[in-house]
Amino acid sequence: MTRCTVTTGFFVLGRCGQAAAGSCPHCARPVCAAHAAPGGACPECAAARGYRTQDPHDPTWVGNRRRDYYQRSSRTYQDTYWYSSFDEYDRGAFNPGDDYSYGGDWGPDDDTGFVDS
Amino acid sequence: MRHRAAYVAFDRFPSSKGSAVHIAQMADELFDRYGGGLLGVIGGGDLPRYQREGTREIARFDARIPNLIDRAEAFSGWVADHLAPHWETLEVCHVRDPWSALPAVADGRRHKVVYEVNGLPSIEMGHTWPWAAPSTLGKIRELERFCLERSDAVVVPSRVIGDAVRERGVPEHKVHLVPNGADVPGATERPADAPERYVIYVGAMQPWQGLDVLMRVFARLADLDGLRLVVCASVPERRAKPVRRLAERLGVADRIDWRFTLPHHEVAAWLAHAEASVAPLTGCARNLDQGCAPLKVIESMAAGVPVVASDLPAVRELMADGEHGRLVPADRPAELARAIRVLLEYPHEAAAMGRRGREHIEEGLTWARSRARLAEVYRTLDR
Ligand SMILES: [Zn+2]
Ligand SMILES: [Zn+2]
Repeated sequence: MTRCTVTTGFFVLGRCGQAAAGSCPHCARPVCAAHAAPGGACPECAAARGYRTQDPHDPTWVGNRRRDYYQRSSRTYQDTYWYSSFDEYDRGAFNPGDDYSYGGDWGPDDDTGFVDS
Repeated sequence: MRHRAAYVAFDRFPSSKGSAVHIAQMADELFDRYGGGLLGVIGGGDLPRYQREGTREIARFDARIPNLIDRAEAFSGWVADHLAPHWETLEVCHVRDPWSALPAVADGRRHKVVYEVNGLPSIEMGHTWPWAAPSTLGKIRELERFCLERSDAVVVPSRVIGDAVRERGVPEHKVHLVPNGADVPGATERPADAPERYVIYVGAMQPWQGLDVLMRVFARLADLDGLRLVVCASVPERRAKPVRRLAERLGVADRIDWRFTLPHHEVAAWLAHAEASVAPLTGCARNLDQGCAPLKVIESMAAGVPVVASDLPAVRELMADGEHGRLVPADRPAELARAIRVLLEYPHEAAAMGRRGREHIEEGLTWARSRARLAEVYRTLDR
């Protein structure tokens, strides 16, 4: 039997594991009846459609996003150069570095965040 | 699904770090109150990009961008995109850092912004990123000030952070103290691989946590036969490299047991069966000026284990010297070692401190109490 692979839980995550009723038309993963959105999509694909295209694998994504966002947020600041005020010199200090700089590396097992108690 | 509430944090969720526990409690309170909501956090690895639990939706940012400033800015843009569909229905947006806050405090909003300050990147980043220039930190400080100024309420976990926030010009009436909490665990079984006698360290590995001091302390306790140090690190193994190298050099490495990124309930069991829990936070500007709200101190007390911690203002807010454990001057291995030694020599007194610590949590530092305070903050926004 094929089982639903949808991730469930808020703090501790698990897999749904119910018998699948079909597969998501976008990503083909098996989904149970309870987790299938209208059209049979998995919750991930269904939610993604509510937002602008987010494709971080597209190399232009970050650049576009940043420029686009600057334009909108510059109205907030009444300062077009707010973001560009972080120049290459500023950025240089925040490249991945030694073992201490948590937030410095970026892998699936890594953590991030600016502060921690 | 259109949401009335959003909680945004530049933090991985879930994770084994203390921040994840905090996020879970605060977001749960927010979503309870507003009938669900959007949680925007960091993902990656096995975590799905979108997840739905009833009326709650989790969106995770997982772009792999090595430079922290680039990543933070990309996250800001991502947050802006994810708030946009909810702009008309959103009533409260709760944020934890300036890059989450920036899109939330934008012009033309009808929602209120609650900015939860657990630490200030302008201070923190100077410590974790030693190469950052003062002028860069100044820009980050200006960004913080801008977001704080435009927020409707500022939530802080300790008075020390409250002071740092007020120093940045946030008026008194906007600052609300919502302390961290812990849930007192029931009886826990001794971990199967626990040594006979051990003291414990729980938490992350940044320099300001004072693990180097702890290694020196442990070197001074070499005569205590059979005493081991258990380090429950909330971060992946390779982050422990510098500390392990130091332990080797000091000749204490073979008396230390390492556990990495254990689930929360397992850490609670390790805590409960320890002789003492050590929080050797350093007396650096990071800990003194912005404070910290060490969850490990609260969780140790909740587990009923006496705490030996650095005597910092933020720690003193949580526990009393001689009552729930011992407070010793920061960065003094000899004094810290002596305090641990005395605790171990008087097990009855130590056990009593542990019990009083647990009562102290039950009486005033539970998550239920913290959440009630947060709910009060949300109520003041509605008025
Ligand atoms: Zn899908
Ligand atoms: Zn399912």
